[in-house]
Amino acid sequence: MDWLEDELRQALRRKDPSPDFEARVMAAARRRPVLTMPRWLAAAAALLVITSAGLGYRYHRGQAAKAQVMTAMRLTGSKLSRIQMQIKAARP
Amino acid sequence: MTELETVVQPGCDFAALMREHRAMVFSVVYHFLHDRDTAEEIAQDVFLSLHRNLRAIQSAAHAGFWLRKVAVQRSIDASRKRMRRPQVALEDVAEPVARGVPADPMLGETLRRLIATLPETPRMVIVLRYQEDLDPTEIANLMAIPVSTVKSHLQRSLALLREKLVRRGVREE
Repeated sequence: MDWLEDELRQALRRKDPSPDFEARVMAAARRRPVLTMPRWLAAAAALLVITSAGLGYRYHRGQAAKAQVMTAMRLTGSKLSRIQMQIKAARP
Repeated sequence: MTELETVVQPGCDFAALMREHRAMVFSVVYHFLHDRDTAEEIAQDVFLSLHRNLRAIQSAAHAGFWLRKVAVQRSIDASRKRMRRPQVALEDVAEPVARGVPADPMLGETLRRLIATLPETPRMVIVLRYQEDLDPTEIANLMAIPVSTVKSHLQRSLALLREKLVRRGVREE
């Protein structure tokens, strides 16, 4: 074997990290909660909540508009019937 | 400890994998960056990444390959982020004052310092070749580069290191 390659193997021998390395990694791993729910499921759930909220809001707006139209129609109807009665009363 | 053991697959005990591979992961990063504190931080990140991805690990051998690959990637990433020390070509490293033939412990440190001045790719090739004893095909596979590139980096780096050492007065045996 080439003397330089031999020296490189000696110089680059594996070294151990500090003695508390394993304890530090285990402590850090314990601090990080393991994500049991798949990410796609979490994303799908969030999308469902947002879509439902959007649909609910649209339904609420639709109901409010419907109530306004009904009120307008009632007012118009009562006015029309009053005019009709006045016309009948004015006839000879 | 028990919380961690409940999430690992049979045959992929996280604590056992760490005990088996910690020296490999730490040394790849340390010999590449030549900085013990940073090497410990990166090695810790590599193992935490393994912990998050433990479900994807199929066997202990797969874990070893996975850890080595991630250690290589993280080391190169860290080297690129280090803007405080600009890259210096090996040819440009200043010669120290000649003090005769260095003793063997000094030669090891001299070699590690010279390796630290190599550009990223040849530096990692040297670390994987002489620390991990990988052949050029394995190194090429791990670093996703052609085998011919690995061989040329090895030849060129060895020639440069030899030249530098001879100029420092280290005799060839």
